[in-house]
Amino acid sequence: MIELDHLIAPEQSEYTLWVVALLTLPLLSGLISAFLKQQAPYGSSFLIGLNLVVAGFLALSLWDEPVSIRGSWFSLAGNDFTYSFFLDRLALAMSVIVNFVALLVHLFSIEYMREDPSKPRYFAYLGLFTFSMMGIVLFHNLLFMFIFWELVGLSSFLLIGFWFEKKSASLAANKAFILNRIGDLGFITGLMILYTQFQTLDLDAVKSLMAISEIEDGNWVVAFKKAGQEVMASLDGRWLSAAGIALFCGAVGKSAQFPLQVWLPDAMEGPTPVSALIHAATMVAAGVFMLARIFVLLDAQALEVVAIVGAVTAFMAAIAALSQFDIKKVLAYSTISQLGYMVLAMGVGAFSAGIFHLITHAFFKAGLFLSAGIIIHQLHHLEKGGQKFDPQDMRVMGGLRRKMPVTFFAFLLCSLALVGLPGFSGFLSKDAILLDLAVWADEKGGGFYIPEVLAFMTVVFTAFYTFRMILLVFFGEFRLAGILGRNQLENELHEGNGWLTVPAVIFALLSLSIPFGFTLNPEDSWLMQALPTPMYVVPVAYAAQSLLDIPHETFEVLHGLVNAVSIGLALAGLVLAYWVYRPGGKLQKSFIEKREPVGVFGQVSFYHWYLNALYEKIILKGILAKARGVAWFDRWIVDEAVNLLARLQVVIAYLTRWFDRVFVDGLVNLTAHSIGKVGQLTRSIQSGNIQAQILVTFIFLLTLILLLVL
Amino acid sequence: MLVLGALMFCSGLFVVLTKKNTIMVLIGIELMLNAANLNLVTFSRFDPQALQGQVFSLFVITVAAAEAAVALAIVVKVYKYFKTSDLDRVKSMKG
Repeated sequence: MIELDHLIAPEQSEYTLWVVALLTLPLLSGLISAFLKQQAPYGSSFLIGLNLVVAGFLALSLWDEPVSIRGSWFSLAGNDFTYSFFLDRLALAMSVIVNFVALLVHLFSIEYMREDPSKPRYFAYLGLFTFSMMGIVLFHNLLFMFIFWELVGLSSFLLIGFWFEKKSASLAANKAFILNRIGDLGFITGLMILYTQFQTLDLDAVKSLMAISEIEDGNWVVAFKKAGQEVMASLDGRWLSAAGIALFCGAVGKSAQFPLQVWLPDAMEGPTPVSALIHAATMVAAGVFMLARIFVLLDAQALEVVAIVGAVTAFMAAIAALSQFDIKKVLAYSTISQLGYMVLAMGVGAFSAGIFHLITHAFFKAGLFLSAGIIIHQLHHLEKGGQKFDPQDMRVMGGLRRKMPVTFFAFLLCSLALVGLPGFSGFLSKDAILLDLAVWADEKGGGFYIPEVLAFMTVVFTAFYTFRMILLVFFGEFRLAGILGRNQLENELHEGNGWLTVPAVIFALLSLSIPFGFTLNPEDSWLMQALPTPMYVVPVAYAAQSLLDIPHETFEVLHGLVNAVSIGLALAGLVLAYWVYRPGGKLQKSFIEKREPVGVFGQVSFYHWYLNALYEKIILKGILAKARGVAWFDRWIVDEAVNLLARLQVVIAYLTRWFDRVFVDGLVNLTAHSIGKVGQLTRSIQSGNIQAQILVTFIFLLTLILLLVL
Repeated sequence: MLVLGALMFCSGLFVVLTKKNTIMVLIGIELMLNAANLNLVTFSRFDPQALQGQVFSLFVITVAAAEAAVALAIVVKVYKYFKTSDLDRVKSMKG
């Protein structure tokens, strides 16, 4: 029988100091920016760079032998709460990527935020954000993950609302925060279920205990020893699925999955480098990373939910991206869509494919956002003489490749990776996901073909909106000149300087497939091989069929077909986009002039399936109605009762006062008054009239004598 | 002699009760004291041990002298304070 105390026994490692440094350097980089004031960008970037070196060192030393560090945090009523770090390949890869993206975003921000007076605050938030993400990556304890999970939520709130003077920015920050809270409610519910069953939240211990738990008569039973005593924990089997789904809810919030994805497009209110950080490495990646961490704890039912949510999200967001005018909105929806792919991958059991896509996506999406940031930054500089325009609106762009060739180059490479054309990183990871998905659907059959269909349709839409974006931004004529009526405006437009372009180009180069393996087959990629899919540890009766159990031939049979279909669909999307949005084409012209898309499809897409309106109508309205009802009750029932009581008291007080004044005061006054009267009567004798006194004395004396004599 | 004493006492009392001036009141008191002295001397005639009345009156005269001195000093003070020696005006008590 397993002893819990053994499972959570402290473990030491020579690398402890390095790990602590890896965790706290980003926090330090945030803290010093408060003291460095105007020099904050350089100091913070330096510390993040240093941290990247630490992460790289750890990755190189520990790649082949993961290290676990554990210690007791505190003990409460015989329950040990531990902290633990676990540096396996997943954590190491993530720490390198997080720090790498964070470093390039820092460098990019030096130029991007140069004129912002609250730079120190910005860099402090960035540091906090990176620190929180590193906490999620390094800690191998669900409770600590949850703590840093919340910190990520907080820092994203701070950064999305960085320009809080703008009403829309502070509202977007609120929205992101609140929708994340809804997901976190699920997360904490999952934690409670797991703690009830296993009495620990240490992930290693949870996995070991999950591995020995069994299903008996539909009950989820686990037996272990705690402090020498045998513990037999039993819950209804459905709680096992519930725990998985509840934990997944947390990922739904953080990774912007259906139905909580509406915060991500609004989060574009933050500075663009922050969007790059959120979308590439820190916030939305946290959800997928957490799913990877709890992957082996998910049972078949939970995985199905995960897969379906992922597929629906990928499809819905791809549709929404088709008709946006705001370049950052397109990118935001594409992120949601790609996250849908990752979650879908986790759901079908394609662990390595999901992580692979998370990593490739981190690079090409960061590159896309930074390139978009350059465009926005440079367009913003054209604003002068009171001429206002929205530098994020694609309708004012066009033809930018002539003046900004480097940005165009970076944007194009990253876009092709996003579309998933051979030779780019996105192709490898997306191919891996689609292949695993196809095998999964074949095995399950029936309605489980729907996620596959949705995922393949998403490929077309991805290609379409990506190419549409490129055509609108970089080809054709520079439309802003016409809109503002300044013909020579194009000559005022410049390429961004090295601070801006170098990070974007680095990301663009990492979007090629070469860094991940010189191959067109994802299975040959070193990263895929380095992060093999683990086996489920849930009791067999509840476990999903692992893709590892499916014979390799099945994959090989489908591989060619999946490849051909996905490349064909991507090319179809490109051609379709060119046909609609080719420069000078009729359709492009009419589209650019419209204020918003027409037609049912266009409207549904532009308004993101009316999700915001739906939530406003149903949930917000309901909550507000309830709030108003409570307010009414408060005002008219509770307040009135209180007021009535108060009035009653006042009336009683009046009565008492009257009684006091008339009876009590009257009695007192009467006494005083009568005494006064007596005094008045007697005091005339006591006057200073000596002669009168003498006379009286004499008369009395005489009378006395007469009385004595007679 | 007794009749003269009674007359003196009555006129002294009259002066004390009617005069406004403090000095006059003092004079009245002196008159009454001297009337008493006259009575003492007169009644010492019937004294078996004799001379008791006369001696007593001598004491009275001495005390009266002291009393006059003190009283006149008070009168001077009162005059300084109230700027008058009129008894009716010297009333700081209410009544």
